[in-house]
Parts: sequence; structure tokens; C-alpha cells
Amino acid sequence: MTVVGKTGLSPRFRRNRLLLTVVLAIYFVYTFMPIWYVITASTKTNPDLFTSFGLWFASDFHLWQNLSDLFTIQNGIFRNWLWNTFYYAVISAVGSALFATLAGYAFAKYDFVGKKFVFALVLGAVMIPQTALVIPIFLLLSKVGLLNTPWAVILPQLVFPPGVFLMRAYVDEAISSELIEAGRMDGAGEFHIFSSLAFRLLMPGFTTVLILAFVASWNNYFLPLVVLNSTEHFPVTVGLAQWYASAVSGSGGQLLFTVVMAGALVSILPVIIAFLIMQRFWQGGLGAGGVKA
Amino acid sequence: MAVIALKDVKKSFGSVNVIGNVNLSIGDGEFVIFVGPSGSGKSTLLRLIAGLEDATGGEIVIDGTDVTHMGPAERALSMVFQSYALYPTKTVRQNMSFGLEVARLPRAEIDRRVNAAAQVLKLDQLMDRKPRALSGGQRQRVAIGRAIVREPVAFLFDEPLSNLDAALRVEMRIEIAKLHQRLKATMIYVTHDQVEAMTLADKIVVLDHGDIQQVGTPMELYEHPANLFVAQFIGSPKMNVVEAAPADGGIAITGGGTLAHANPSRALVKVGARPEDISLVPAGEGQLQGTVDVVERLGSDTYAYVAVDNVGVVIVRIVGNAAAIAVGQTAGLSLDADRVHLFDASGKTIR
Repeated sequence: MTVVGKTGLSPRFRRNRLLLTVVLAIYFVYTFMPIWYVITASTKTNPDLFTSFGLWFASDFHLWQNLSDLFTIQNGIFRNWLWNTFYYAVISAVGSALFATLAGYAFAKYDFVGKKFVFALVLGAVMIPQTALVIPIFLLLSKVGLLNTPWAVILPQLVFPPGVFLMRAYVDEAISSELIEAGRMDGAGEFHIFSSLAFRLLMPGFTTVLILAFVASWNNYFLPLVVLNSTEHFPVTVGLAQWYASAVSGSGGQLLFTVVMAGALVSILPVIIAFLIMQRFWQGGLGAGGVKA
Repeated sequence: MAVIALKDVKKSFGSVNVIGNVNLSIGDGEFVIFVGPSGSGKSTLLRLIAGLEDATGGEIVIDGTDVTHMGPAERALSMVFQSYALYPTKTVRQNMSFGLEVARLPRAEIDRRVNAAAQVLKLDQLMDRKPRALSGGQRQRVAIGRAIVREPVAFLFDEPLSNLDAALRVEMRIEIAKLHQRLKATMIYVTHDQVEAMTLADKIVVLDHGDIQQVGTPMELYEHPANLFVAQFIGSPKMNVVEAAPADGGIAITGGGTLAHANPSRALVKVGARPEDISLVPAGEGQLQGTVDVVERLGSDTYAYVAVDNVGVVIVRIVGNAAAIAVGQTAGLSLDADRVHLFDASGKTIR
């Protein structure tokens, strides 16, 4: 870094920096508040949940009991849900990131008839909210008899238009056409070039799409709600919502509010872990040196 | 080793004609250079030969086989790209062996070829490095090594030195010349740098607007350019060209005197004279009169830029440091009548 002046000491810079800090602090509180509430609420007993201050712990620390209830109620079905969420998310994320990378590569590096039109369709698909597609997807799945199977959740999630859009831009940036042509001169087939020359260079883009798709699938509520009806296929989102609904309506033998809170807490941990693991793939400079810029 | 023939080769991108109608024959072991300004179609022509572009029409024949519709690998050519296009995630050794692995050569043969090429190119110490840990010149050598190990029928170079600094460019130019002498392979080389073309080529192909302007040895092109374009493109500094008309017993230079010439053609409209074919004479003598505008002293040579009224700037090359010449002095210019080039209205050379 070159120091171009003592900007750090100028009053204007300080004022701007202070303003920025305040804005970020407000944003932090805004986003962290619900998570904080989940953390405190999951340590309380049901009566404490409604009588103690919402954003602080109650005198009775009940987290371990809540967790143990979470994993034992209804023969530990929460474990099922957690596993379902996990494997729906992993398969959807890996599959959709792979498809997005292949499609993005094709859009960026090949000329074919109707390219503009097809890409416009992809762009259009980015604009359409998933919710709007759930009814047609439901009808399609019912026609092919896949309703109430894991495929009903996984197949629609393999299509991830924002990923295609992202990967096209990334391929454009990361892969020079001369690199592909060098592979062709060396006699490698198109898929060989993609898999052994290009793919490694696309890892940062690939992992970005992977994590986006993973989180999208992990948090997906509406699609599984519509296409699944057996409890054992539910992901965490739908399962917890069902428990919460039964708690609100007062049905069932046990009040489940704090258990739902503990379940919410458990369900966000893997996403945080996934982020920490994937972080190291977001490194630039993978392609440095191959092609003179 | 290959004889490459292009027959009526055409290329257009949509409605834009990039290569007009090219006929060219390249002999076995020849070092052929395509030279021309940007947009002249020289790189496209090379890519057509490589198979990276499909010809719109015509035929490309290598060693008697029509390869027009074959893929790049089937043509058994190697190419060195302008950007080097090394595989960034592979080591130098892997970069060089990749093509051989694709071709499923035995491991021992791959190692033999890669090690031999590494030795020739002095890459032995760098074999386990990735491209990003190499200097520009080293990357260039890896790119050449990758081309050599495939033992191609011909080498294609697409402006391979344009990314190097001036000193390295001269060094690599000499290495490529040596490589050609050693391998005696057919090489086709694209450049916009006429010095590279003059120094490396057995045969130069001058292109402009997708058409071949002239094919010949460097000296043929220099001494006998076929037209005004070639005359001005080859040679540095470039040829001086002035308007002229035929006259009794000579050539009347517009804005100047008459140059004695035995047989000026009726079609004559322009006269060209290379900087070394003009001499500075005392004011009042010679065919043109002007004022010395700029003097460039290179030690071995001196270039004088002489401003001539109604004609423009004429460049004169004087051997030595020409200490007597000063900016602002008036001088006469005398053209060497035996060495001038005469052009007709269409720019063709009158022989």
C-alpha cells in the first residue's frame, strides 16, 4: 500500500469513518437480534420463555434439557429431519453448482445457435421467484409420480439460474480462449479441457455457487412443504414449523416452543461451519502466470 | 516435416471478409513469416492453418493430405500463442507432457522427449515450478518446449515475442532462429514487426486487408517490392514516396527538379526512395530542396528528417555520425536514380 497523504487524520475522513461504523453497527444489531433471541430462548424453560426478558438468559439454564428433548421427541425424528436437510442440501448444491459451471462455461466459451435467446431465458429465470414456480413444479412432479420422495425436493433445486449467470461471468474472467485453444492443439477433447485444464481455475467461482445453492436449499421451506407430506421426509424447516404450529394451537401433549428454538439453533450451526470450510477456496490468483495479461 | 499448401482459402466472419482468396505454398523446412499491420488477417490465416478456425472456402493441404475439415490435433501441428497460454495449475513438466499424455504415449517416451526439450531450452532447473513462478522469457520457453515435444510436422507461432521487453525479444528471436536451424522444421510465424520478419524468415508473406501483397525472401521484398504497400511496410525507417510524372529524359518530381532516368514509364505517378538511397548535398543541388528538421544520431547511422515544401518530410540515412549536419540548415536532396522505385496510379511497381 502506498500512502498518498495523511487522510487518516483529516477530520472529514474521521467523520465518514464514524458514520460508516454507526451504520454497520445498526445493521449488525438488526441482523444479529433474531439470532441472539434464538440463542437465549433455547436456554429457557417454556414458562420462562414467556415471563423473562426476551433478549437475556433466564435464571434457570435449560439448554441441555431442551437439546435432549429435541433429539428424543417423536422417537428422535429431528435427527431424521437434520439428515434430510443435510443431504438434500449437499446433493442440490453439488449438482446445481456443477450444472451451473458447465452451463456458464458453455455460454462463455462456445458459439451456438440460439445462445442469446437461451441466456435471456436464464436471466429471466433469475427474476422469477421460486415461490411462483412451486405450483407448476408440484403438478409436474405429480405427473411423474415423484411427489413425497426426496427427488421432489432435490430435482427442482438442481436448477439454479443465478449460479449459471455468475459462472458465465466468472469463466469469462478466469479462462482465456487461448488456454482452451492450447488444449485443443494438444489434442485434448472438449470435456477433457474442461475437466483437467479449466475446472481447477474455476474453483473460487464453483465454491461460491456451491455455498449459495447450499444455503438456498438448507433454508428452503416452501418447496418441501408443498411436495412432501410424510414426516420422515421433512427437512428441518418444515419439521420445526409443524412443531411450532402444534405448539401454537396447543395440541399435542407437550409444549414445544423452547424445543423449536433449540432446533433452530442446531440448524444454523452446520451452515456456519460450511461457510468456514468453504472460505479457504475463495482465493484469487489461481490462474496467475498461465496467460500473459 | 511438411509441405503446406493453401488453395483459394477464404474466411469471413458473417458478412466481413477477413481472408480474401489466399493461395500459398510453404516448402519443407521453410521459415515463413506472415507480416502485416493489425487487421491484415495474418493471425486469422495462421489459425486457419492450425484448425482453430474453419475456412469459409478453399482447401488446406499438409503433406498431400486435405486437412481442411480436420480438427487441430489431427493436423499434427504445434502452436505457440501470443499469451503463451500455459496451463496455470500444472508444473512446467506437466505443461510439456500434457499433449503427449493425451496421445497416450508410453511414460518412458514422454520423459525422454520432455527432458530433451528441457535441456535444449535450458528449463531443467525449472521443471517443478508453476508458470506463475516463471519470468516472461521462461514462460515463453516453456510454451516453445510444449510445442517441441509433440514433434509436430510444423510449428505455428502467433506473435510469440510481442509480450517480451525489447532486450529479451532480441534474445528470444536468436533462440528461435537457432531452434529452426537445429530442428530444420517447417515454421510459420506471425508478427507485425518487420524487423522480426526480416531477420528470421526464409520467406515473407506480406498481408494487407486479407490479401497477400507479395511473397518473397526478405531481400527480394526489400529490393523489389511489388507495390507501394510492401515498399513502405518493409524497411525501417520506411521508404520515402513523392509524387512525380514522366518527363523528357527523366522523372519530374512534383515540387522539385528532374531525376535523370533512361526509360520512365507513361504510367508513373509516384517515386519511392529508401533513406539510404538519398544523399544530402549542398543547397541548390539535387532534385529537392529542404530544411533539416530533426537529426537522430544512433552512432553507426544518422537519420536526418528534411522538411521539403509541398512534398513533406523526407528521411535520409547517413552512415556515421554526420557531425556536420545541424538542425535548421538548408540542404539539397539527391536521389539515386538507379535505386528508386517507380509506382503507377494503382500503387503497383513499374519494372
